[in-house]
Amino acid sequence: MTQQANNPTLERLMQAAQTGDARAYECLLSDITPRLRRMIQSQRRFLGPDEIEDILQDVLISMHSVRATYDPQRPFMPWLLAITRNRLADGGRQWARRAANEVLVDEVPVTFADDRTNSEQERQFDSEDLRTAMRDLPHRQRDAVEMLKLREMSLKEAAAESGMSVGSLKVAVHRGIAALRKALVKDQ
Amino acid sequence: MNTETQKVMGRLIDNLTPVKRLPSPSLRAAAWLALGIPYVALVVLVMSPRSNLAAKLSDAHFMIEQIAALITGLTAAVAAFATIIPGYDRRIAWLPFAPLAVWLASLGEGCLQILKADGFRNFASDWFCLPAIVLVGTVPAIAMAVMLRRGAPLTPKITTALGGLAAAGLGNFGLRLFHPQDSSLMVLVWQMGSVLLLTLLCGMAGRLLLRWRLMNSNDKAA
Repeated sequence: MTQQANNPTLERLMQAAQTGDARAYECLLSDITPRLRRMIQSQRRFLGPDEIEDILQDVLISMHSVRATYDPQRPFMPWLLAITRNRLADGGRQWARRAANEVLVDEVPVTFADDRTNSEQERQFDSEDLRTAMRDLPHRQRDAVEMLKLREMSLKEAAAESGMSVGSLKVAVHRGIAALRKALVKDQ
Repeated sequence: MNTETQKVMGRLIDNLTPVKRLPSPSLRAAAWLALGIPYVALVVLVMSPRSNLAAKLSDAHFMIEQIAALITGLTAAVAAFATIIPGYDRRIAWLPFAPLAVWLASLGEGCLQILKADGFRNFASDWFCLPAIVLVGTVPAIAMAVMLRRGAPLTPKITTALGGLAAAGLGNFGLRLFHPQDSSLMVLVWQMGSVLLLTLLCGMAGRLLLRWRLMNSNDKAA
């Protein structure tokens, strides 16, 4: 009984997390993260540590996004493992696609040798112009550019902070950069 | 521990909000049916029920097919809602196949009798069935899509195919209440064909409709 009270089960922790109990959720995540990491490592031996962590983060975020589907009457681990297996399969597909399309090069050519071709890239923009152009962006694009380009957050982190999906973030940052470029070039 | 993972965990904890637990698949299917049946009844009334409906209600063949269509829709809905709950036995996806088999067997038996008696002489095109099933199944299909998006997209194609079968089954149930087509051969080809085509199309749209939302529309208590 005392042990039960001191070590609440994963089922109880998840049940509490569903009601918004952040401490219970922290305990739950601390408990399951090393287990998930070991499981992913054992099933994806060919991946590097960063890729393992990427999948682990995917699993944690996916679990978070569907936590309403957990029924406390049912055991927690099969629920979590079903999500993990699914994300592992998705991760495997992505890895295979990347491996098939990736081209390895020794040195990426950054720019052209001819000075005239570099004039556009090397033009100095006034920082006040940039601030104004950023202010004029729609808020989703501004948030995406700030998080991904200025604060150098990963897509997953930015998705976690903003509540936007990774796809929406990619679109927003692409449009944001295009709008900034247009605004700054127009001002020259 | 990896600092990136720690940061993600920190954000998840910071973003934690209470969520309303999803009811069981059976309860959700019942709720879906409770929404779909009044709409089907409304469409039947607007299209005006077939003139011989009262007589058909005492026809055993008609009733078996109607009950089988309704149960196929209901069990397909239960199965679709179960496939978006992690940890559920995936064999539940086979649940609608029993009533579907009864439905097909009943139609098949009627077809054999027609083919023995007349061959294909009475077979004709009946393109009304497909749009009519779509019309009757539209609201149930939209409701189904909205409800499915609250779960985990573990098997998106299977889930949407089951959802499509549920909506099309209900659509066909409604169609036969206002469309006076009773030849088993015609029903099998045009109506069951439409149901299966819609199921297939819904299955193909699975990955478009159901994706992992990495954060966090479920965070809001819904």
